[in-house]
Amino acid sequence: MATKYIYGVVPATADLPSLPGIGGAQLELIAADGIAALASDGPRGDLVMGREAMTTHARVLEAAHALGTVLPMRFGVVMESEEQVIARLLAARHEELATQLEGFHGKAELRLRATYEEEAMLREVVREDQDVARLRDSLRGAPEDATYYGRIQLGELVARALERKRERDAEHIVQALSRLALAVEVTPPPHERIVLNASFLVDQSALAQFDAAVDQVGESQGGRMRFKYTGPLPPHSFVKFGPED
Amino acid sequence: MSTTALSRGAGSSYVSRSSSSGLYDVLDLLLDKGLVIDVFLRVSLVGIELLTVDARIVIASVDTYLRFAEAVNRLDLGTSEGEGLPNLMEDMTEGGASSKTKGVLEGAKEKIFGSGDEDGDEEKEDEDSGSSSGSRRRSSSSGSGSGSGSRSRARSSRGRSSSS
Repeated sequence: MATKYIYGVVPATADLPSLPGIGGAQLELIAADGIAALASDGPRGDLVMGREAMTTHARVLEAAHALGTVLPMRFGVVMESEEQVIARLLAARHEELATQLEGFHGKAELRLRATYEEEAMLREVVREDQDVARLRDSLRGAPEDATYYGRIQLGELVARALERKRERDAEHIVQALSRLALAVEVTPPPHERIVLNASFLVDQSALAQFDAAVDQVGESQGGRMRFKYTGPLPPHSFVKFGPED
Repeated sequence: MSTTALSRGAGSSYVSRSSSSGLYDVLDLLLDKGLVIDVFLRVSLVGIELLTVDARIVIASVDTYLRFAEAVNRLDLGTSEGEGLPNLMEDMTEGGASSKTKGVLEGAKEKIFGSGDEDGDEEKEDEDSGSSSGSRRRSSSSGSGSGSGSRSRARSSRGRSSSS
């Protein structure tokens, strides 16, 4: 019996996205009581899933989201059989799933990542922070091996100044956008140049306004930052299961 | 949805947009977010989760400090303060300054995806608006920023050289 790879949960009446699933398998709906799992036959044997499978997962969900409401599963969920999908996912979690399908109807996740333009930021730090400016001047032109500890100290001061800036800037951006969002999820920045990594849940009707607000934020930073704006996506960051029974 | 997307505003030259076809942008969503029922998770994603954790280590270390110090020392505040610098030069400098960070992150990506052709995708993302599912992405050439074209070229060449 075929295993089932699950992409997400949709209303039982949903249209199937017209693209192949992981490994070229045909997409299908496994429906029960008004809701359905968007699935395809799972790969056989050992499951080694890499980039291609992840891309497919993302595209299937995006296509499903374009057609209607979809609650995305995390990448990599495979169940043993169609019966298991019905019994352990659709029936066991029916109420939560039905409620969320209704709740996320017409809503999308939009992600915004803001990254500092490093040189512009460093200029700002040197201009604003006298300790940094002084130490920098004292180190310039001196031989490298004589200034090792001084340079570490300078770098640390810069890192701290950037950290303070990051907090302020991130808060400012979130504030500017959250009034147009139904919910916000901020992920901790993965490295020191990232100012903010956040997901916003936005109603489709507010999408254009939100876009404009993002552009406005982009402009208001005037080249201090570069923004990566992704979406509309299915509400990955906002769907939730309660604890297992 | 592409139609919705295509009609979305004129935009800012500082904001680049993408759909989920830019896998790197949604990697953490796919791996960490979304519904999951642990008991029934049958795939063991060997290594993948651990590696993304690797990619998220915040680099607060002597290396970072030295890199910042170097970058700050290299700033020429006297001549190029304000808006004088051409984008290309700015980006080359930035590229040098950030190569360490980028290296770490791309190393992790490479581990996740096996081969090193992610660079190719990143370039595509920046430059190619006509790819199959990228219809809602605004390309740098159609963007309103006069500097965005040269910016993405500079980034691409940096990507190539750092991967070689």
